Amino acid sequence: MSAPLKVRINGQPIESPCPDERILLDLLREDLNLTGTKRGCDLGTCGCCTVWIDGRPTLSCLTLARSAEGREVTTIEGISPGTGMNDVQRAFVEKGATQCGFCTPGFVMTATALLRDRPHPSREEIVRAISGNLCRCTGYTKIIEAVESAASGGTS
Amino acid sequence: MHLHPFELHRPTTVEETVRLARGLPGGFDWLAGGTDLLPNYKMHLNVRPHLIALGGVDELRGRSGGRVGAMTRLGDLERDSEFGASYPGLAEAIGEVATPLVRESATIGGNLLVETRCFFFNQSLPWRESLGYCLKADGDRCHVVPQKVKCYATFSGDVAPALAVLDARVEVAGPDGRRSVPLLALYDAAGDGIRRTHLGPGELLVAIDLPDSARGMPANYQKLRVRPAFDFPELGLAAAGRIVDGRVESLALAAGGLETYPRRFDELTGPLLGERLSEERIRALAESVRLAVRPVHNTFLAPDYRRRMVAVFVRRAVARLGSVPGGTAG
Repeated sequence: MSAPLKVRINGQPIESPCPDERILLDLLREDLNLTGTKRGCDLGTCGCCTVWIDGRPTLSCLTLARSAEGREVTTIEGISPGTGMNDVQRAFVEKGATQCGFCTPGFVMTATALLRDRPHPSREEIVRAISGNLCRCTGYTKIIEAVESAASGGTS
Repeated sequence: MHLHPFELHRPTTVEETVRLARGLPGGFDWLAGGTDLLPNYKMHLNVRPHLIALGGVDELRGRSGGRVGAMTRLGDLERDSEFGASYPGLAEAIGEVATPLVRESATIGGNLLVETRCFFFNQSLPWRESLGYCLKADGDRCHVVPQKVKCYATFSGDVAPALAVLDARVEVAGPDGRRSVPLLALYDAAGDGIRRTHLGPGELLVAIDLPDSARGMPANYQKLRVRPAFDFPELGLAAAGRIVDGRVESLALAAGGLETYPRRFDELTGPLLGERLSEERIRALAESVRLAVRPVHNTFLAPDYRRRMVAVFVRRAVARLGSVPGGTAG
């Protein structure tokens, strides 16, 4: 068995036993009980498992936990301010961008990173940025509107 | 899905990597971005007892001018506006790979060596078991072209054709040192979807080298697929060249997603060099490419449709490189 995995998750240093073949998504959900990150297709197609590694949106189902060694992992549990929701989360609620909600954590992680890097994206840029996240309920219109709303400070 | 147990190795230099690769019993795979390898592992496709992760090898990362480290992430190249302006066709191809989320992890070297695909191969273990497996994994026959000698799995990378039309070379490191070869010399043109490349045991890609002539060369890439995101190419056509006042100064075409390897069509574009383009000549070129390719029925779209679309893509590609006087070639 290899040495324990050392990684920071949502700002907290974590040390966890970790076989080499452990997938990051499994570490989060099964070992650390961070079940906000969802397992959808488990093959990289749907984006439900999106987390950030050093701020970069990453498919945790296609990442070995060992690849995150010594790095900062941010999950949906770590993305909100101390209390309440961030702008993207609030916009998803206000615009009705959530139906069954299973894809929502992935969309929030992707959209929050987009607005951090590009505070005022065009509609086309939003559509392109979320093209790796699948939603089977909404038809995407409300999700796009929510991201637009978050980008304009919640006024649109 | 949990992965089978394997040992993960994390070298930090190319030399250490090559040394490591020599002494691993039972075989190994390189781990680049993992976006193709790990799904295949989850489906128990040709799993190995060792993985050599290349993410910690600094020399393999980043771009300097026309030299791109094999482990440079596609997402980083996409955000590199100077790179995109210098190599527009390459930027189009990179932007068409999978999804933005995949491109955050996927590397350019990984895309060049992406596993060939077939709908009898890219399936779950129970699916494949029920059919009796295939040549490419665990079995002894091909379900696409029934025989026992050759695999027809399709080369499915987007970046290789776009690099090929720019005369890119790749640097390879291995037990016998380093060598530089034209990109397309890397691939097995005898057409076997299992062997795929001419990389020797323990050889890895270090970098891609774009010649000075590639910088600023007009180029484009078109991709055929069912969904506008995620899907691998059912056909990818790259074109590069200079067409000035309707006269062909240079022209290269390359395709992926059709056969077991990416290929250029120099024998078809060569006769046009120095010639004045006409709509008739463009249509003849497109038809000759259609007749030259041999897709088989192992991906989502029918081979005949993919062949007809390659002709359409050739006409559009040439039209984009330089407008033809008095005609619309689309």
